[in-house]
Amino acid sequence: MNGWMGKITKIDLGSLEQETVAIDDEMRRRYLGGRGLGVKLYTDLCSAKTDPFAPDNALIFMTGPLTGTVMTSGRYAVVSRSPLTGTICDSSSGGSFGAVLKSAGLDGLVIQGRADHPVYLYIHDGGIEVRDAAGLWGLNTQQTQKAIQEQTPAKTSVACIGPAGENRVAFAAIMNDKDRAAGRGGMGAVMGAKNLKAIAASGSQAVTIADPEGYKAMNARLERIIDKNPVTGKALQVLGTSVLVNIINAHGMFPTENFRRGMFNDAEGTSGEKIAESLLQRQSACYKCPIGCGRTTRTKNKHGEGPEYETVWAFGAQLGVSDLTAITEANYACNELGLDTITMGSTIGCAMELSETGAWKEKLDWGDASKLLAFVEDTAYRRGIGAELALGSKRLAEKYGRPELAMQVKGMEIPAYDPRGVQGMALSYATSNRGGCHMRAYMISPEILGHPVFLDRFSTVGKAEIVALFQDISALVDSTVLCRFLQIAMGISTFTEMLRTVTGLDFSDEELLKIGRRIYTLERVFNNRAGFSRGDDTLPPRFFNEELQTGSSRHRLVRLEEMLDDYYSVRGWDKEGVPLPRTLAELGL
Amino acid sequence: MAGKIVVKFYGLLRRQVHAPVLEIASDELNILQLLQLAKDKTGQNFLSELLDPEKKLLTGTIILVNGENIRLKQNLETLVRGGDSIDLFSPAGGG
Repeated sequence: MNGWMGKITKIDLGSLEQETVAIDDEMRRRYLGGRGLGVKLYTDLCSAKTDPFAPDNALIFMTGPLTGTVMTSGRYAVVSRSPLTGTICDSSSGGSFGAVLKSAGLDGLVIQGRADHPVYLYIHDGGIEVRDAAGLWGLNTQQTQKAIQEQTPAKTSVACIGPAGENRVAFAAIMNDKDRAAGRGGMGAVMGAKNLKAIAASGSQAVTIADPEGYKAMNARLERIIDKNPVTGKALQVLGTSVLVNIINAHGMFPTENFRRGMFNDAEGTSGEKIAESLLQRQSACYKCPIGCGRTTRTKNKHGEGPEYETVWAFGAQLGVSDLTAITEANYACNELGLDTITMGSTIGCAMELSETGAWKEKLDWGDASKLLAFVEDTAYRRGIGAELALGSKRLAEKYGRPELAMQVKGMEIPAYDPRGVQGMALSYATSNRGGCHMRAYMISPEILGHPVFLDRFSTVGKAEIVALFQDISALVDSTVLCRFLQIAMGISTFTEMLRTVTGLDFSDEELLKIGRRIYTLERVFNNRAGFSRGDDTLPPRFFNEELQTGSSRHRLVRLEEMLDDYYSVRGWDKEGVPLPRTLAELGL
Repeated sequence: MAGKIVVKFYGLLRRQVHAPVLEIASDELNILQLLQLAKDKTGQNFLSELLDPEKKLLTGTIILVNGENIRLKQNLETLVRGGDSIDLFSPAGGG
């Protein structure tokens, strides 16, 4: 078989039984791998009533047909039901773990059941060994990776949880290859609920390429495309993703103090430009990545990876904090303890506003960086104030009677772009299948950054079609599984070419878009069954009722109702956001 | 003339133009003329970070006049005058 390894194993951690999951060629072609095949397998195995922490909930690690082949192909996807949102969820991560898992002989693994004591899985030669992890329980993610690497062959790659996952914090991350994170949606908590501390993989099996000569020529061409593009060839390398701080701030949509304002006075001091001239030690890159957007940094006390744009914001402007060292060290702590930085920071911001309004008795002050590390650590261990922050913003704000102060969609905190300044992104947030996320359809690209084309950010005209298209393309790329940054320089036809060259199958652009649409619709079907519908495709009331007062997004509000019906119509869903029977039939669902 | 035109440099431009802000006293002029003037005043040829060899905006270049993108105005022919604030961003990505 070309592209895929041809083996997915299901393991029950309770009974320790293993079986090969039957996947036929048609299913591979219809869902590819990664997010798509993961979602398909998940929805076949689990119902919308499955509790994320129940033993029968499936946790699926999946690579794709391009994993371990072309540039940026070290990634993997994790699929399960999110304990944060209750939606279907996939979370993906870079590094090399995906490529190494495949070299160990598996396209993916499906984990069900709960171990009766802490374990880790060691995957090699196509087999899975269940190993005792009692001695690893309680270790942070860096210690865990190091300890497992001492017990396994050189170049073993480890994906693991930290204390936050062990303690089932609803936004616990899975960390691999030191500091790469499958961050969003609490996949680490699902892992912790299974008593599964880590998955380690090592191997030397190569992915078979259908057209080796074409592959070689294609790779050389892809390298040139990436190198020639000013963003992938230079800007991301030199300045990292935090180059966005000044850009988004200048557009008056850099969320400040829990989205009450759109401009942060100290943005410059937390920008990518500032990081490059202060904390940056060197750039870092994932497996076979020519871009190298990662930041290896050092503060006076510590060193590690990050912060990237979303984290700079979450621990910075969102809290009114301008201390770049404090932001960076809070990032390191999240990496070590295994927490999603976006939800962590946004929840602290929500807590600060709750405190200010008097709804919460705890005294938290905007701009106070002195307690950030304690907040992060206490959250991972669910102690003191951290036991409350571990709820995430939605449950926290509901608990104190002010649900409108949580800046979330479907329970997931929205990231660092105020939707009042960018209408397409607002629709993208509202209709995202995993909640408030920028990665389902990154409308910032056309509406702010101007690629592949420039769109008026304040217009709602035509946005429904583009959001749906971007969602489909994102679902597709997440299923190959490659880095989204390739999309900055490459269109859909390049992904088609990569898949054709590696798998030998005669994919077309149209077929790939249909695959993306099928995946997005299947996720929606699951969410509908779980009770989500039109009423959940919305944003916090702040974005409809409170105008921004300064900057170039001032006096703007989100105009979701101008886009939502169009969006459902484009999608072939009814007015409640439920896919119509003919839509399901067209997609073979 | 109501004050100077304030030009702010971001992103990769910072590596070429060592001061992040330049103030220019000038009569009304368009953005392309302003960029040429800024190049002369800084002594740094940063234009290739923003424009292609035909002097068109590169995909991804962002130039804001008082916070508004010139692509929604008259592109490089957008007129500016004293008191205006101009932000120059070389193409960027992230997320």
